[in-house]
Amino acid sequence: MSFAVQRLSARVGFGLLTLVPILILLLLVLLAPPDGNERTEWLQFLGHFHPIAVHLPIAILILVPLVELAGRSRFFPQLLSSVDFLLGVATCGAIGAIALGWCLARSGGYSGSLVTQHMWGGLLVAVAAWLCWLLRGRSSESHLNRGYLTALIVTVTLVSFTGYRGGQLSQGENHLTEHMPERLRTLLGMQAFASVSSTSSNAGPATFYGARIQPIFSQHCIGCHGQAKHKANLRLDTYDRVMHGSKHGPVIKAGNPTGSEVFRRITLPPTDDDVMPAEHKPPLSPNEIKRIELWISAGASGTQSAESVQDVPADSGTSTAVAEITFEESDPAAVAQQRARLASAVLQLQQRFPSALDYQSRASADLVLDASLLGSNFGDNQLAALTPIRDQIVSADFSGTAITDASSPAIAAMKRLRTLRLAHTKITDAAVKTLVSLTQLESLNFFDTAITADALAPIGQLPKLRHLYLHDTKISPDTPMPEELRKKITF
Amino acid sequence: MAGAPSQLELFEHKPELTRLDGQDCPASFLVGKRFAFINGIPKLLGSQYPFHQAGQSGQWISDRLPHLERQIDNLCFIKSMRTDQFNHAPAQLLVQTGDARLGHPSLGSWVLYGLGTENQNLPGFIVLLSGGNSPDGGKQLWGSGFLPSVYQGVQCRSHGEPVLYLDNPGGVSRPLRRSMLDAIDEINRQTYSEFGNPETVTRIAQYEMCFRMQMDATDAMDIRKEPEEVRVSYGSKLGESSFANNCLVARRLAERGVRFIQLYHWGWDSHGSSANEALNIGFADRCREVDQPMAALLADLKTRGMMEDTLIVWGGEFGRTSMRENRGGQAMALIGRDHNPGAFTIWMAGGGIKPGITIGQTDEMGYEIVRDPVEIRDLHATILYILGFDHRKLNYVYQGLDQKVTGVKPARVVPQVLA
Repeated sequence: MSFAVQRLSARVGFGLLTLVPILILLLLVLLAPPDGNERTEWLQFLGHFHPIAVHLPIAILILVPLVELAGRSRFFPQLLSSVDFLLGVATCGAIGAIALGWCLARSGGYSGSLVTQHMWGGLLVAVAAWLCWLLRGRSSESHLNRGYLTALIVTVTLVSFTGYRGGQLSQGENHLTEHMPERLRTLLGMQAFASVSSTSSNAGPATFYGARIQPIFSQHCIGCHGQAKHKANLRLDTYDRVMHGSKHGPVIKAGNPTGSEVFRRITLPPTDDDVMPAEHKPPLSPNEIKRIELWISAGASGTQSAESVQDVPADSGTSTAVAEITFEESDPAAVAQQRARLASAVLQLQQRFPSALDYQSRASADLVLDASLLGSNFGDNQLAALTPIRDQIVSADFSGTAITDASSPAIAAMKRLRTLRLAHTKITDAAVKTLVSLTQLESLNFFDTAITADALAPIGQLPKLRHLYLHDTKISPDTPMPEELRKKITF
Repeated sequence: MAGAPSQLELFEHKPELTRLDGQDCPASFLVGKRFAFINGIPKLLGSQYPFHQAGQSGQWISDRLPHLERQIDNLCFIKSMRTDQFNHAPAQLLVQTGDARLGHPSLGSWVLYGLGTENQNLPGFIVLLSGGNSPDGGKQLWGSGFLPSVYQGVQCRSHGEPVLYLDNPGGVSRPLRRSMLDAIDEINRQTYSEFGNPETVTRIAQYEMCFRMQMDATDAMDIRKEPEEVRVSYGSKLGESSFANNCLVARRLAERGVRFIQLYHWGWDSHGSSANEALNIGFADRCREVDQPMAALLADLKTRGMMEDTLIVWGGEFGRTSMRENRGGQAMALIGRDHNPGAFTIWMAGGGIKPGITIGQTDEMGYEIVRDPVEIRDLHATILYILGFDHRKLNYVYQGLDQKVTGVKPARVVPQVLA
């Protein structure tokens, strides 16, 4: 008998011992809820053990119904006597986890409905686990009382709910569904993920905000001021949230960068306590700060187009960075249309001069002529045959061909030429004089020809010329000529 | 440059490494790394040659390449190249074909497949070897892989007949050869209509190409037709099989519209295990062998105006370590370095390239990249971009995939090198 009394009093003792901390925690949560501020190091330090500690009570509370079921089978009747112990450990574990959780929530800059729901869920789990323990008693009999059964079902439901909210807090609100395969998603009648997330921002990628400002916030800020964590109640993950501001009021004052809290914080010296990004995270680059300043000065609009803001520095962090290369899609139909007018003439000439004539690129109707491969088989008569397509030729190489000065009017008529090569030909100064009409010419090659200093005057008139090749000609570095022309020459 | 030339003896000026020469290599250089030979704790090895700044661009270069130094303002260095292969053959395959395994087409084959040949009388992709040995990666380095073999590189001999048995034997006239080829052609066409194998078409095309090459190839390869002063500027000697002669031939081929030309010079694997592999002996010889010819090639292309539309790429398959080798746990008899896939230097010049600049940076020991890493696939994407391709679109359907030279990982064009 005395043995039974001792056991009973031990149970009462344990019941009270666990009820007291639950009540204390309840008071704490009511009096000091998470408010988005960061607090002392000790609280934060302890708080970060919360995610580790929660798994013990969760696992045990899920285990209890399994043990209850298995214990009623023929195979594991001995399990039933351990349920009492399991529930006791789970209650203690839940109390510990809640205490640590409060430390984290109170000190780590959390606020909002997610954390509130998670917190109350956690408290209710502890209460429910305690009730389970109380209602079940020590019995290892196969009879289950209805109160205990209800409490156990409520407990498991609460554990699932609270655990899911906790996952959302640490890994993002869509952490379970964001990688769901598209097919399964359709099967369950869910929205495509992309459209879910895009509704959260009203400033699209074509706006200056969407293209140039939000990426900065997304890269540097939303770790602490985002969906999951919003320290000081500030969120910088959408335009509306940015303009809504923090618990201290607006952080952006349109047209007034220096009066805007965001701009003030990112421009403070790195040693200042208020500087953002905090905790020695990498600061914003000068270009990023400049972009934010321009955006605020221009009215901090969410709809202004990306092109309308002037003098915007490049995207990436360092000033030496160069824009990434992108490829433009060509439109084959439009190109075919441009080529149509001369297509038959081009085809005919391509057959007559194999490999010598081709379009500049797949996306272009301009022609490139390389007669050099035809060598002495290409002369003045052949060049004359190119007349129908002369306006389309942008580059012509006559190196080593048999053309003479007689062809110079035909070459001069190729008004769009940017590159002209006359190396190893019989071209003389007389021909050069007619070439002044080639106003688009950028590169001119007279390598191994008989041209002399007399040709320099007409060449000097070519407005766009950048490269002039004069090796093996009568012109040498000693030939007097304007300095400006000399800089373009390769001897 | 087959065998991986040491960037630390040519272009990577690292005074801090020179200061720490002879000290034990820090453990952080070795942890988690795989080496071809390094064992135990090797000693750090400073540059073996003095460095100085050269040209108006003020880029650093060692005293081993005095001729190239005069062209330095035309060069664009990438000092932050990176590979994931630390042995020669797979690393060379990766550089040349975009994959360390056999069976993928070389970059030259891709380019030929995309651009087509310009000169009908010469192969569009020609390979020349020097240095006494073939590169470790073998002929697959210029193979066509899963592309039709009509796009493979054609290796030509660098002295004597460029292609063996190209000339007609005695008693066989050109018309007789023609009628013989016509007969073979007829049989091949029958075979093709029966079996439909694209390799048969390749065979027909090769016969036709060879017939046309009989006229042109010998002329294109014949450097005796170059004026004496040009040969002297390249350091070329008639009758030799040398990098100098190959450079001169390369220019003649480029002039004739050959799309893609590769020169391999063997012997850069400076481990320090033999005199020929020592940084102070064989390596110095290699530098002498390539310095004047490659500088002369650059100068020649420039004066002829060909630099505008010719792209020149120089490099090895990986870099060399900042420390000595300690092969088998012993200090090496001669001075050398092991393979370093983590960082190496290449240079580019010519059309579309911004001259006189350096991209990327390694740490002060020249061991790891600290800025702007460039992967092999990025280099391929960049080369293709300069040649007018979108690397994402240059593909060939094989084994159910749109195969690309840049593979499946995202590749980027390096914007800084572009003029």
